[in-house]
Amino acid sequence: MPTPVIDIDSLTKVYPRQIGQPARRSLDDLRLRIGENEIFGFLGQNGAGKTTTIKILCSLLRPTKGAASVCGHDVRTRAARSCIGYLPENPYFYEYLTPRETIDFYGRLQGLDKATRAREWDALSERLDLRGIGAQRIRGFSKGMRQRLGFAVALVGDPPVLILDEPMSGLDPLGRRMIRELILSLRAAGKTIFFSSHVLGDVEQICDRVGILVEGRLRTQGRIDELLNRRNEQVELVVSGLSAETADALARDALHARRSEAGLHLTTADAAAANAMARAALSEGGQIVEFTPIRESLEAYFVKEQAS
Amino acid sequence: MTGKILAVAQNTFRESVRDKVLYVLLFFAATAILGSKALGWISIGQDIKIVKDISLSAISVFGVLIAIFVGTNLVYKEVDKRTIYTILSRPLHRFEFILGKYLGLAALLGVVTISMAVVAAAYVLTLGGTVDTTFAIAVALTYVELLLITAFSVLLSTAASPILGALVVFSIYVVGHATNILIDLPPHFDDTFARRVMELVYYILPNLSNLNVRAEAANEVAVAWAYVGWATAYGLFYTAVVLALAALAFEDKDV
Repeated sequence: MPTPVIDIDSLTKVYPRQIGQPARRSLDDLRLRIGENEIFGFLGQNGAGKTTTIKILCSLLRPTKGAASVCGHDVRTRAARSCIGYLPENPYFYEYLTPRETIDFYGRLQGLDKATRAREWDALSERLDLRGIGAQRIRGFSKGMRQRLGFAVALVGDPPVLILDEPMSGLDPLGRRMIRELILSLRAAGKTIFFSSHVLGDVEQICDRVGILVEGRLRTQGRIDELLNRRNEQVELVVSGLSAETADALARDALHARRSEAGLHLTTADAAAANAMARAALSEGGQIVEFTPIRESLEAYFVKEQAS
Repeated sequence: MTGKILAVAQNTFRESVRDKVLYVLLFFAATAILGSKALGWISIGQDIKIVKDISLSAISVFGVLIAIFVGTNLVYKEVDKRTIYTILSRPLHRFEFILGKYLGLAALLGVVTISMAVVAAAYVLTLGGTVDTTFAIAVALTYVELLLITAFSVLLSTAASPILGALVVFSIYVVGHATNILIDLPPHFDDTFARRVMELVYYILPNLSNLNVRAEAANEVAVAWAYVGWATAYGLFYTAVVLALAALAFEDKDV
């Protein structure tokens, strides 16, 4: 990998002992590198250490050991924070401000001048569909509206790296779709996106790579296609119009077979075996109703990793 | 840098103005100032003096209560409501955040102090009294005292819950007005551990009596400008030290 945009090196975080609570190791020797213009999905159960990692990257927590950098700058520096747009899980803002005032406030913290802040509002309100609610107080906003505003805040100052903590949690299907499309458009605009999520279907759709965190340790990381081993995927073939003898013969050659109203369902080890079986069925006067690769889902893979 | 501090300060001012406790305390302060005449009636020929004395004390006490109740919540509330996440992840120093929060509340207390002083002065004039320079100096030094108490409140806000913070800061206010009792101990305390602790506290805590010329203002006794300058410098120096401690306490804090 060329110079990583996010470089996490042996990061360990131990929360000190408190009254009634023992010390807790939240992260243990985490090493991770995220390349430029990549969408990286950071997965793990509740308490696995995802938010701790994100908060260390955003300089909200100090690591017990190890270091991390963003755009080549130590995460403790202002230079690193200049590169980051951060969306916390369930973002909270000052309830008495309007979205327009909120964007202006964060623009000032980013060091933008007045004219630039006004342009930021124009661009972000258009992009996140905030124009209609620009003058309303945030108090009373729905989850979806807050999330849109949170994204707009993260994008103030056009940072090259976006760190998003559960950006899709609690959103309805339309809201999730909007966020997915937004993330993809940000990658198209050259951004690097690091996000944690429990919505594995969404992660599978948009991520280039994922990492799975189990009890503070990185269990695995890589491209989704490689992790799910899709080159050797099984295929389900559904055929109809076969004689009983031909059907029995094909069923014997399949890994698994069952009958339904649609026809005979045959599971084969790979696409080549399925093709051979389809040719045999056609030559015996049968019809191919379905030819479906059985893909291991990220969710199934995630559950398997957690169990192991 | 200044722009970022100012952004946090303006926001803190707007936030604090919405705090209901501010208006409750202002109501009681106004009641105390306007009700001071009642005590004046039982002090024959002293009513203006009593009104001035009570009014200036009300400005101090209620100003301190606002500084404590709003101040000890300042940083704590940001962490508790998680608004701090999106702020500290921006390119600003943590001390800029602390300073901004402090200046926002200091500005609010400035407005509150001036408002209470104007009401008190108008009331004194209505009763036929005069408002002289010493009265203004007493108000100004009270404001310096509020700046110092606010700094303590912000320090405690970075490290403790609002209730614990309020108790500690109020104790500092009370003991700070009577620091002499810490060293004027009976002879049987000589060479004891308790005496050494008391002496240590005496030297650490600010002597808030240095900022109290309210009796002089009530009695219309002039205060030397040199003293005013020294007392102001004393209060502001302590304030700067306490704010530096607050920034230090917050620098590596996990939020």
